[in-house]
Order: sequence, then C-alpha cells, then structure tokens
Amino acid sequence: MQRLMNIDRRIIFVLVFLGVAIPLLVDFYLPIKPTSTVQAVYDEIERVAAIDEGTVLLSFSYGASTEPEMQPMARSLVRHCFSRDIKVVAICLWPEAPGLAQEVLQTTAAEFGKTYGVDYAFMGYKPGNYSVILNMGQDFHDAFSRDAWGARSNTLPLTRDIRSLRDFDFVFDLAAGDSIEFWWIPFGQEKFGFPFAGGCTAVMAPDLFPFLQSRQLIGLIGGLAGAAEYEILMDRRDSATEAMRAQSITHVIIIAFILFGNAVFFLTRRRSVRP
Amino acid sequence: MLFLSRTLPVIVAFGFGVIGIAIYYIPHASAQNLERELALWLRIVLAFAYFLGLYSLANLHWERIRQRGSGWGYSLVAYISFGVMFLFVVFNDGSGPFKPQAEAGGYQWLFQYVHVPCTSTMFSILAFFIASAAYRTFRARTPEAAILLVAAVIVMLGRVPIGRAIADVLPLASEWLMEVPNLAAKRGILLGVSLGAIATSLRIIFGIERSYLGGGEE
Repeated sequence: MQRLMNIDRRIIFVLVFLGVAIPLLVDFYLPIKPTSTVQAVYDEIERVAAIDEGTVLLSFSYGASTEPEMQPMARSLVRHCFSRDIKVVAICLWPEAPGLAQEVLQTTAAEFGKTYGVDYAFMGYKPGNYSVILNMGQDFHDAFSRDAWGARSNTLPLTRDIRSLRDFDFVFDLAAGDSIEFWWIPFGQEKFGFPFAGGCTAVMAPDLFPFLQSRQLIGLIGGLAGAAEYEILMDRRDSATEAMRAQSITHVIIIAFILFGNAVFFLTRRRSVRP
Repeated sequence: MLFLSRTLPVIVAFGFGVIGIAIYYIPHASAQNLERELALWLRIVLAFAYFLGLYSLANLHWERIRQRGSGWGYSLVAYISFGVMFLFVVFNDGSGPFKPQAEAGGYQWLFQYVHVPCTSTMFSILAFFIASAAYRTFRARTPEAAILLVAAVIVMLGRVPIGRAIADVLPLASEWLMEVPNLAAKRGILLGVSLGAIATSLRIIFGIERSYLGGGEE
C-alpha cells in the first residue's frame, strides 16, 4: 500500500505527456458551449461593428510564457474585428509583447486584406504600466507619439483623430499579470469611463469575477477554454478548440490521480487504526 | 548628510504622495495638466528601473561565473544569449540602433523561433509538477479539505468540454462556484488587500514607514 502512496513521479509524467500528445494527434468531438462572460465580449464587438468607423483598442499585456494560452484569444479577437470592418489600434504594456502582437496583427491583416495605418495601427511598447494608461486617457498622442515603425501617430489616418481613451468605442486588455484589475480598471476605465473587457490566463480568471459583477468589466475571456468558446462563437475552430481535447484529457488524468491518491490514503488509514 | 539621506526623501514622498492623491480627484485643467506631467515623469523613472534590473541580473550571473558557483554554466548561457539578442537588436536588420525595430530580421527570428518556444516550454512543464504534487498532497484529511477537493474536481471538469460531455450539470455547477462562493471570497480578499495598500501608502506618505530608504528602521 505504501508503494501505491508513493508512485514514481515519472509514471505520472508519462501519463500526463500521453494525455497531452495523443488528443493533439487524434481528432474527436467534444461539446463546447460559450459561457455568458465570453458571449458578452462577442456581443460588445458586434455593438462596435454597428458604429460607423468603430475603433477598438487592444492592449497586449502578456509575454512569451503564456503565448499558447493568450495568442489564440488575441487572434480570434482581431479576426472578429477585421471580419466586421472594425478598426484596431494595438498597444503593448509588457516588454515581451510587441513580437507577439506584431505576429497576430500582420498575419490576420494579410488574411483579411487590411491596410496598415487605415484599418489597423500598431503603437508598440511603452514602459510605465498604469502611468501609460493615465497618459493615454489625457492625451493619446502624448503617450504614443509614434507607432512601432516610427510614423507619427498624429499623421496616421487611423490615429490622428484619436485624442484620448474616451475616443475608443471599446477597450480590451489581454493580460497575463494584474494589468486588468490594478492598471486598467483604476487608472483607465474608472477615471475615463469607456466600455472595457479583458482576456486572461485561466489561473487569473477567478480574481476578476468581482469586476464582472460591478460591471467594470463587460465580459471576460478566461484562458484557453475561453478562447475556444470565442472560436465557437466565430464559427471558426482553430488552435484553442484543438487544444481543448488535450486540456480535457489532462484534467481527467489529474483528477484520476487525486481520487486514486485519496482512495489509497483512506485505505491505509483504515488499516492503521484497525486493532 | 542626514537631511539628504532621510529628511529630503520623506519630504519628497510626502509632497508627491499628497499631490498625486489630490489631483486624481480634481477635474480642473491645471490639476489634469499636472497629472499628465507626473505620469510622464513616472514613465521615465520606470524606464530607468529596467537599467537597474539589467545591472542586477548581469551582476548576479557574473558573480556566479566568477566564483564557479552551482549552475555557473547556465549563467554563461544567459550572458551569451543576452549578447546575441543585443547584437541583433543593435544591428536592427541593417538599420542600426537609432531606427525603430525592423519588422523582420535576426532579432524577430530569434524571438519567434527560440525565445517563445523555450519560454512556453518552461511554463508548460508546470503541468507535470502540478499533476505530481496534486497526487501527493491533495488529501481530504479534514472536512474543509474535502470541500476544497470536491469543488476543485467540479471546476476542473466543468471548465473543460469533457465536463459537458460527462454531465450537463458540471459546467453549471462550475459557473455557480465561480460566480458565488469564489466571487464572495475574492471580493473580501481584494477589499482587505486594498485597505492594507491604502494604510501602507499613508504610512509612507506621512513618513511613519521609512524602510524603503534602506539602512533599517531609525
């Protein structure tokens, strides 16, 4: 019994590896139904689509470590905006984010035939965390005087008429840290009052539920599961939906190990208390 | 010297602290202009913090290499990796360091095909350790631990599509757990943390808390 209590960790590692690898290679159907918080983000983008020259600000606040979880979310959002002719302005508040944002913007813009400077703009990274948000609320051109390629923001057709954060029809933060609750909500959404929603890693999502109830966040896309739900809403299954198979099986494996460990624990304890 | 090392920083912290709080709530144009100026200063100060971070990192690895400390080879790899990335950033696909970063080139290639896969792999290794740790430590030893275990199983199944395939009630139960007990607990924690942050900020602004000046409490 003691041996069962201390299974070699390599056995667990092999099973987790197979639980990830096999579902990625073998295709099978799993039902994905969008949750209300993801549906709210989708509906908000649809609202902006109804506005003439509707413009969305996308903030990339994540780095390479969370790329597998966040990049599918970013791609789905940009695809949704471009498919509905919404203008996209992208900024980065994390130093690692520009390479990731650039990849999403350029591949998606090529897919939809969008023109740089007219349909989308990439302002690059600025250090300063919440002070950049505060600056953008006061004067967008002051905070981002040039785009990532050196063009003046007051000369680009898309950004020249944007004065402050209030000029955006919707702001969305893609976060792997605490940028939603400690940067964007207190220094942006609360102070300047614009429609705001966020997307984050799965582990962060529970922290943000109070802001959903207070309506400081219109909607929330949580982790890869949220990204998969967004792909279903877009009717375009992509990497997040594919990865849901691996995530589902891995969760089952971890739960099976937890239950097995508890079963062995109780059996051992019963034997030890027996006279 | 005591004035420069102790009194002046406390006066600066008090002045900027009080002004920073006040102008957040004053909608007058002059207050807003001052806020804009201070936000710019803050951005410059934070940008310089990167140099401090770089110095600290370089110093840590240099000491490890110099003393042939445990894992010094990894420190050498850190230095070489930094050097290679730095050279490509400066080269900037032939444009030089004073132009905006090129859309393509060696740096972008290294970022997309070396840095991103390596960092993602490091992060994904967590899944293996979580599985192993959960098996060894997640035991229903007490009624509270049993409740936590049941809630964790429901949320883990309810948040992935296989949960819906097993039973429609699992995603609903998971959502309820997130929106009611989780929300209540998180709100309580958030209020506690915020009140603590306000109290600490006031202690710093009024010069009660001075440990940030270094050299221990006076």
